[in-house]
Amino acid sequence: MSKFTEAIAEFTEKHPTLYRCVLLGENMFKKAIFGCQDCGQCVLSYNAFVCCMRCPKQMRNGPCGGTRANGRCEVYPNRPCIWWLIYKRAKWMGRAAKLKKYHVPVDRRLEHTSAWMNMFAGRILPLDLSKELREIELPKKEPPPKW
Amino acid sequence: MVSGSRLERLLRQGEFVVCGEMSPPQGADKAPILKKCEYFRGYVDAVNLTDNQTAIVRMSSIVSSFFVLEGGCEPIMQMTCRDRNRLAQQSDLLGAYAIGIRNVLCLTGDYQTFGNQGDAKGVFDLDSVQLIHTVADMNRGRLLSGDELKPPPAFFIGGAANPFAEPLEMRIIRLEKKVAAGVHFIQTQPVFDWSRFEKWMSAVRDVGLDEKVFIIVGVMPVRSAKALLYMRDEVPGMSIPDECIKRMESAQDPKEEGIRMCVETMQRLRNTPGVRGIHIMPVMWESITPRLVEEAGLLPRPEPLSIEETSPETAETS
Ligand code: SF4
Ligand code: SF4
Repeated sequence: MSKFTEAIAEFTEKHPTLYRCVLLGENMFKKAIFGCQDCGQCVLSYNAFVCCMRCPKQMRNGPCGGTRANGRCEVYPNRPCIWWLIYKRAKWMGRAAKLKKYHVPVDRRLEHTSAWMNMFAGRILPLDLSKELREIELPKKEPPPKW
Repeated sequence: MVSGSRLERLLRQGEFVVCGEMSPPQGADKAPILKKCEYFRGYVDAVNLTDNQTAIVRMSSIVSSFFVLEGGCEPIMQMTCRDRNRLAQQSDLLGAYAIGIRNVLCLTGDYQTFGNQGDAKGVFDLDSVQLIHTVADMNRGRLLSGDELKPPPAFFIGGAANPFAEPLEMRIIRLEKKVAAGVHFIQTQPVFDWSRFEKWMSAVRDVGLDEKVFIIVGVMPVRSAKALLYMRDEVPGMSIPDECIKRMESAQDPKEEGIRMCVETMQRLRNTPGVRGIHIMPVMWESITPRLVEEAGLLPRPEPLSIEETSPETAETS
């Protein structure tokens, strides 16, 4: 992101207790509200603030072919298909164009780390809420320590 | 021309292709595969080999594809993301190319709880769009990590689409993503619900995707009304209209009626703009394939020209 946010991330990641507090805060917020699964590379802002990692197959690029006609998941017939929710919410919020974004494979080294700090450090795409989507080349960076 | 496979050459020459499908055996013997090849040789242009379909353990799709080559047919190897992580997928792809497999169909895969190993760990390291992107990158001489690959493979890359699952707009977005990721051909779920299929197909034509990717549409012969009911109730993402079920129920000979219904769908698809081929998926009824192809008037199957003779104008994607 910027020099300033990178410095914050660097400082936080050097201090285990601080890092854990940040992670706890992030988890308390995102787990309670979005059912966050801790992938450490958040795509909520592209997916109308519904977490796609709740899908049993962890589909990040759209629904599998098994969504039922009533919008339920093929694996758990009594739960909604996550991508059905994403689509409905994105329509309602007028953010359907953002669903076209291609999401690269999950970097498994970032799982169970703070997505906010990863974003600050420039490891993942920033939450680009106001601007149009564009392709951003991210520099290759070391994953954070798992404290 | 990417791979020069028979399927690719025929498609680029503008031929209407026919694909078959075979489930690998649930045993450690290649004989059933070689026997089933007889139903396909000369009747279809390529055969899909499923990869532990519905999460039931069968012979590996790579090895079965190799036996299909031995049996004189061209395989389309299916590869799912359920059973392998990205390392295994890339190494299996390299091996598959080395033993002569040229077509690969990239799928996410049925969830493991559907099969006979419900307690297994599902991998899902990549999803199907990412897998397509990975294979396309490998064709360009690059592994997922960015490392150089020498010599690179040259796969004809396939993907799946389900015209019948909701919501329609999301299906088109996903298809667009697959095309952008580098897919060359698409195979769909079997058509029973014609009106829904028309809707999907016209949405595909509206965004011009039929020009960018070869669309091969699935058909399925059924033997009884019970099979249709089972699919409607138990197989997610399928749409079976009531007329179909009624037609099968009231038929004197349901088996013949099922064949007639399938042939009718094939003939209709033959005349649908944007449809470039048919994919016959007779679940455990491979022996019916020759009859279906013959009755639909799709015999004899054309021979592809050599790679040099294929004119570049018919090559839509390179
Ligand atoms: S960090 Fe990952 S798992 Fe958590 S909400 Fe964001 S996308 Fe979902
Ligand atoms: S139906 Fe939806 S939630 Fe269920 S596995 Fe498929 S994409 Fe995921």
